[in-house]
Amino acid sequence: MVLRTDNRLDDAPMAPVTCVRCGAGVEVRKSSWNQTSVQWTGAALNRCEERCTAAQLAVDSGHALFLSCSALSGSIADAVHSGALQVVAEIP
Amino acid sequence: MTARAEADDVRLIEAGSVPARFARGWHCLGLVRDFSDGNPHQINAFGQKLVVFRGEDGVINVLDGYCRHMGGDLSQGTVKGNEIACPFHDWRWGGDGRCKLVPYSKRTPRLARTAAWPTMTQDGMLFVWNDPERKAPPEEVTIPRIEGATSDGWTDWHWYTTVVNTNCREIIDNVVDMAHFFYIHGSLPTHFKNIFEGQVATQYMKSAGRPDLGDPEGSKLLGTTSLAAYHGPSFMIDDLTYHYPDFDQRTVLINCHYPIDANSFVLQYGIVVEKNAAMPEELAMQTAIALGDFVKMGFEQDVEIWRNKTRIDNPLLVEEDGPVYQLRRWYEQFYVDAADVAPDMVDRFEFELDTTRPYEAWMSEVETNLAARAAASGPVV
Repeated sequence: MVLRTDNRLDDAPMAPVTCVRCGAGVEVRKSSWNQTSVQWTGAALNRCEERCTAAQLAVDSGHALFLSCSALSGSIADAVHSGALQVVAEIP
Repeated sequence: MTARAEADDVRLIEAGSVPARFARGWHCLGLVRDFSDGNPHQINAFGQKLVVFRGEDGVINVLDGYCRHMGGDLSQGTVKGNEIACPFHDWRWGGDGRCKLVPYSKRTPRLARTAAWPTMTQDGMLFVWNDPERKAPPEEVTIPRIEGATSDGWTDWHWYTTVVNTNCREIIDNVVDMAHFFYIHGSLPTHFKNIFEGQVATQYMKSAGRPDLGDPEGSKLLGTTSLAAYHGPSFMIDDLTYHYPDFDQRTVLINCHYPIDANSFVLQYGIVVEKNAAMPEELAMQTAIALGDFVKMGFEQDVEIWRNKTRIDNPLLVEEDGPVYQLRRWYEQFYVDAADVAPDMVDRFEFELDTTRPYEAWMSEVETNLAARAAASGPVV
């Protein structure tokens, strides 16, 4: 199957964000203040401290779901405030 | 071409063709109890006819349905000991796929093998491993255990099976389709998040009740919290909690399927319900049945859409739609050789949807419906 790309990315593509805590580099798209896409790589995931902690806890509890990294969420918010990352809903 | 002309171009629906192969992964064929009667069972799956039989040793086996001797249909045969006997000439086949005995012959062709499918029984369900490369299932590819399925604190499985005549990608799309839960299923999503990672695709959704639907004297359902994840291409476990004013009702809903061929699949769903003070034994089973009927209605609503819609590879999305393209990129990993699974098919992807605007639009629709209902029932004297 030919995999096509999301038409929404034509208007506003993903942009790089680096986590201020661990330095993991991910691609981010903020559709609105409350809507965020994050594309990780294997290398970024291995660097993420919260993820590594969650993975260790998962071994004990059997629950493996990791919803998000709070430090990365903070870094994404910082990137928006500094103007490094645009919010699609706010693009004129 | 000017920008104006481009803007006027008609957008074409691209549909391509359905995949020529079937997904690699564990597929649930149904409940172990339904295959344990000592008779062979015919299963049409992965474009083939299979026979499922439980030997006297209790092991459930899955073989290609046709006898390698003269092509007899093994699913019409008889279980003898731990083997399936062909109805045509009584050739006996073991669960390992080897010919064990030809009763009328001095010699058994012991080297002859038919296709045997790796199986697994877990939490009352029978799984079969499909792999177009015919490799054994890797150890790390597993289906999580379901605590409620084997606990006395929960009901037994309440299970449904039905055939759907479309390619199974349609049901996968539901993982990301937030808006259809309002328009098709009468729920009101207030929180929606997807996470794809490895072979797992997760949907985390909170929904509010719909005051404009159903009997106004009926249930006092406040809403639901659903954590649903596909583990591989076909088996979803949904930890689904119903919130009532006085208590939370925990349930587990299985939504799984196996392809019959490229244009049809068998859809199965099963429910277990936790017993509690508000929900003792008998009432819990009644609840499982009632919820099962409710889920059945939901799938019938989906099927009605699927029956009439077209396959579409290039859906036109707005910001408030879910990550359809990324989900399909994840799903593609099951349709390529294991060596060809690309990092972007399995790398973690998170998508949190802003439900503010959809919620506003839907609440206004709900209020319109309530006002219309109040007007229709006349003034309260």
